[in-house]
Amino acid sequence: MKRVLIGGIGNVLLGDDGVGPYAVRLLEAIYALDENVEIADLGTPALDLTHQIAGLDALILVDSVAGDGLLNDAPAGTVVLYRKEDILRETPAPRMDPHSPALSECLMTAAMLGASPEHVLLVGIVGKSYEPGGPLSAAVRESVPLAIDAILEELQRLGFAFRKKPAADDPIIWWSDGHAWRQLNS
Amino acid sequence: MAKRITIDPITRIEGHLRIDVEVDNYAVSNAWASCTMWRGIEKILRGRDPRDAWLFTQRFCGVCTTVHAMASVRSVEDALKLEIPLNAQYIRNLILIAHALHDHIVHFYQLSALDWVDVLQIPKADPAAASRLAETLSPWTRNSRNELKAAQDRVNAVASSGQLGIFANGYWGHPAMRLSPDVNLLAFSHYVQALEYQRKALQVVGILGAKTPHIQNLTVGGVANAIDLDSQSALGIDKLELIRTLLADVAQFVQQVYFVDVCAVAAMYPEWFKIGSGVRNYLAVPDLPLDSRGSAYDLPGGYIRDGNLASLKGFQTSSDPIFRQAVTEDIMHAYYQGNKALHPWAGETEPAFTGWDGEQKYSWVKAPRFNGEPMQVGPLAQVLIGYAHGHPLTRKYTDLAMEKIAAVGGVRPTPALLHSTLGRHAARAIRACMLAELAQKHLQLLVENVAKGDYTVHNQPVMPTHEVEGVGTHEAPRGTLSHWIVIKDEKIKNYQAVVPSTWNASPRDRSGAHGPYEASLLHTPLARPEEPLEVLRTVHSFDPCMACACHAFDPSGRKIAVAKIL
Repeated sequence: MKRVLIGGIGNVLLGDDGVGPYAVRLLEAIYALDENVEIADLGTPALDLTHQIAGLDALILVDSVAGDGLLNDAPAGTVVLYRKEDILRETPAPRMDPHSPALSECLMTAAMLGASPEHVLLVGIVGKSYEPGGPLSAAVRESVPLAIDAILEELQRLGFAFRKKPAADDPIIWWSDGHAWRQLNS
Repeated sequence: MAKRITIDPITRIEGHLRIDVEVDNYAVSNAWASCTMWRGIEKILRGRDPRDAWLFTQRFCGVCTTVHAMASVRSVEDALKLEIPLNAQYIRNLILIAHALHDHIVHFYQLSALDWVDVLQIPKADPAAASRLAETLSPWTRNSRNELKAAQDRVNAVASSGQLGIFANGYWGHPAMRLSPDVNLLAFSHYVQALEYQRKALQVVGILGAKTPHIQNLTVGGVANAIDLDSQSALGIDKLELIRTLLADVAQFVQQVYFVDVCAVAAMYPEWFKIGSGVRNYLAVPDLPLDSRGSAYDLPGGYIRDGNLASLKGFQTSSDPIFRQAVTEDIMHAYYQGNKALHPWAGETEPAFTGWDGEQKYSWVKAPRFNGEPMQVGPLAQVLIGYAHGHPLTRKYTDLAMEKIAAVGGVRPTPALLHSTLGRHAARAIRACMLAELAQKHLQLLVENVAKGDYTVHNQPVMPTHEVEGVGTHEAPRGTLSHWIVIKDEKIKNYQAVVPSTWNASPRDRSGAHGPYEASLLHTPLARPEEPLEVLRTVHSFDPCMACACHAFDPSGRKIAVAKIL
């Protein structure tokens, strides 16, 4: 059976960098997905991402991206889609620490093992503020539904079912309110 | 003519390590280590419920998630003087060991082996000869000619594609690369196998922690695992047996492959036992508690000064009074307001970025000091301190490493030669062997305790109304980690994390003393200064991790090492 992973990437403590985990938690709260589709808040996994993606048929990631270098220096909240070949164009840098291995390197490692996912979509959202403890910028938060639409379109293209839940669950964005402990233990 | 080389490989918003070295006559004459991004995450914790802190600290860093979660709950438990049930100690210990085994394997193979192994020599190797060589080194059953041929084919496929892809960042053909094609092939074959075994170690973390990369089973006072031997969903016989199998597989890889490879590389580059020592003060905290009060441990701690094992002062507990009093963080050369050296409980984190200036402030990393002195932390510190204690398990694998290196290379290193770049790699492999053995022990302790009918996993915390302070420590893969908490009115009043890479990557302090990375680079010979492979070898030997990464996919170009004539 084909397997798909929808992963949110980013550090939830650093403002707009947390948009990936935020988006996948929202998606999971609103939609019921095919049983072969897994959703995960992956944080900032660096090289460990290789283990998450090896052997998948399709990979969908949501992450904040840099706006400069894009067409017209795209403003915050712009949703940019990348395919595998776009990501692989990035040459790995010399590694200084275990954070350095980037997405391109994890895909290359999976490919060397003969286990690279055939279909890869990176849903990038141009970020603005990466202040520790900061909330998502308004423009970034407002673009999350667009990012979710892009994910759903990809699922549809790949032939996986999804439907809206009759009532959405609580997405448990525990880092953005003051009730984390009670929420997780209730 | 002197020139300055800056190694600053990643662009923009990702916080990371930057190294500047001055090179004079093909040797490093001065060095600076800096972090390029603010680590002000601790401020987020002020005012929050101390029971929540671990959820947040687990997100400090995507690579070392569990270690920050563990140090955090331990800091609150220390402040509340809360005992931890035996089952919870064993489960936590197993998670910490599995995480460390994963981390040490990743570090050697994926993050530093290619500093020593020249991938582009592999097409010239003879898999049959490499297999025969492997048989003389290790009983590992996956060194067959066929397995090695398959690894060679993988490299050939990448090399012949014209695009080096994953290998595009290496200094191939560098004169400091000296292994034979057959040894390069053998090491690379293990690089590929390592991916399999590090995944098994992660699986153990996932089974016990409910999820990876962020575990969910911790709670102040213990763990949240339900234990029921007959259940498939709770922690029962099925899961415990799966953990046993996974840990046995990982132990075999560590002892028959990783340990052997490190000894073989060490034997073939013996001059690196004389390069890269730097700061010879070492610090490690006791870890892997064996009772609920935390008064007996499987890994000893303490500190030694100036490389003298006889100077050992041991720590009785993981929050020993000596340790509690001796730590300060100096900001004379860090981008923070003022220039005080404060104890972490009184620590301040007020940023004042002024741009890189090697004479003034040049890093976001504070300079932790122990009784005013820089300390090297990490597996080397732990092994030397264990050796000085006469700790049997440390002695067993350290002596075994010395014998193995001598058997391969004819050079017989002594513990004194461990103050070096290779010493750090050897110590990490020694520690991995120790942990692989301890993993089986702690699993057995857990099984036996549960078999007695003890299913307790949690003691309820009671928050005091008066102000209390605590320190939670963990001897993490990169060394001594400590989280310092002040609790008042059931809320966090102050929180500081003094992380291993802060000790090792620290900038100079008020007395001008270098941090360990900086000191270790002085006098390093460079064959080709524009390709500073030797600098990377030493920096990588510390297993650097700046713990402050903010990852975003950056589609634009990247800088690599930049050389500038002074």
